[in-house]
Amino acid sequence: MHLVVQACILGVLTGGVYALMASGLTLVFGVMRVINVAQGALVILSAYLSWALFTHFQVDPFLSVLIVAPLIFALGVGVQLVFIRSLRSEQAEELSLLITWALALGIEGVLGAVYETTYRATNTSYANSAWTIFGYQVSVVRAYAFGLCVAVLVLLYLLLARTRFGRSVRATVQNPSSALLLGVNADRVRALAFGIGVSTAAAAGAVYGVLYPFNPGSHYDLISRLLSIVVLGGLGSVAGAVAAALMMGVVEAVVAVEISPVWSSFSYFVVLVAILLLRPQGFFGARERTL
Amino acid sequence: MSSAALLTAEGLTKRFGGVVAVEDCTFSVPTGTITALVGPNGSGKTTVFNLLTGYLRADAGTVAFAGRRIRRPDPIRLYRAGLTRTFQQARIFPDLTLVENLVVAIQQPWRTIVCRAIGRDDRSRAFELLEEFGLVQLAEARAGSLSYGQKKLLEFATVLMAEPQLVLLDEPTAGVNPVMVAAIETRIRELNARGLTFLVVEHNMNLVMRLCDPVIVLDHGTKLAEGRPADVRNDARVLDAYLGA
Repeated sequence: MHLVVQACILGVLTGGVYALMASGLTLVFGVMRVINVAQGALVILSAYLSWALFTHFQVDPFLSVLIVAPLIFALGVGVQLVFIRSLRSEQAEELSLLITWALALGIEGVLGAVYETTYRATNTSYANSAWTIFGYQVSVVRAYAFGLCVAVLVLLYLLLARTRFGRSVRATVQNPSSALLLGVNADRVRALAFGIGVSTAAAAGAVYGVLYPFNPGSHYDLISRLLSIVVLGGLGSVAGAVAAALMMGVVEAVVAVEISPVWSSFSYFVVLVAILLLRPQGFFGARERTL
Repeated sequence: MSSAALLTAEGLTKRFGGVVAVEDCTFSVPTGTITALVGPNGSGKTTVFNLLTGYLRADAGTVAFAGRRIRRPDPIRLYRAGLTRTFQQARIFPDLTLVENLVVAIQQPWRTIVCRAIGRDDRSRAFELLEEFGLVQLAEARAGSLSYGQKKLLEFATVLMAEPQLVLLDEPTAGVNPVMVAAIETRIRELNARGLTFLVVEHNMNLVMRLCDPVIVLDHGTKLAEGRPADVRNDARVLDAYLGA
């Protein structure tokens, strides 16, 4: 039982990081019907930027978010304005898939050229520290990472639920043509939403570099996980993405300690398929397709 | 009736492939009137609405609003200039509350985007409108939970938030129960008495005849007749083409 609880703690902490990455992905899909398959590559790009700031300027990876996130936000807004905005709405879903895939390959290529395929990791002084709470070990880095992700998700929630921009986003998600006719500048909302969506990748990327070793090709594994989280949560639902990510983290961790680490990653996909058979729209699909 | 035209359409033409939806359509909406745009199904009424509001691009023709020619009608610019519309199927935001639905329609300076979602003045204005439309008790309910007629009223109230000069109503009473029809008619009359101009597409001819003046009749995308309700009702071409008499 002790091991299971320990695994659950680890699973929740890990799931929080994936929740942050996936929330941006599902937000972008909800607002624009764009499946941003470059989200994983942007996480890795952010991990490299954070690693470079730490290695060359001794900037703590958690603080580096303040530098990396605005850069990735600007990149996201630029990509949306230059490549995605001009797509005809009826073809946007398919063509944006190609565009974001090209972006992912481009990022991978540039990172490969600069850093080659060597694995890197952001090794902070507290990387191996842990707290003991009621007899359970809590990794300091994972706790910090979880805290950062929760903070960013709360900010994202407040932005979407409590601000005028958030109201415009929700209106655009629910009825784009009507929002447009009521004076909501959908182009601007979409560009900013895309920027915000990829910024979550920036925050998660800094954390990812501390938790896992990475190289330019690490985004393939990431994006498959992120897409499955978004599908399980219900396309377009940030709340669903958070729930699915936490479930993924816990299921994988519990299977790793109770059965075998070999089956850990596979177990989540078994649960994913089982749930989708019963509820094809995911946790918060269909009725609560929005934020 | 004031003779000054608030909205003028000249030679509007729209084709979809080989199908001519609207052809050389010219009419005006005098300031302060409730003007009707009627015609049989497929006569091009909604297409005209879409052309006037910039939802479709005309192949030919011009639109002028409030004395200014609109070169390329654009929904956002027209909305800000005071021209707005409703749809046949009420287009609301189902997961927003009624109050949130209304305040979406308020123009917000870009620098205020991270301000509180609903300011005190906006909330107050929204509640006033909901009170007028008999929806105030549902102000914090999700709009998706409303009946069809209530959604129509909500959409109507929403487009009034920005205090427009001209409202285009696309079949405001379609699919609505008689009680709600009376409520909508009353609202239109009251708002018109306060100076708001309407252009109404409507199939309920009894309502059109008692509410609207002038009446414009379309058939096969072209204007067939225009005038006072009694004159239009007795026009042989209208009786022949529209009423099938």
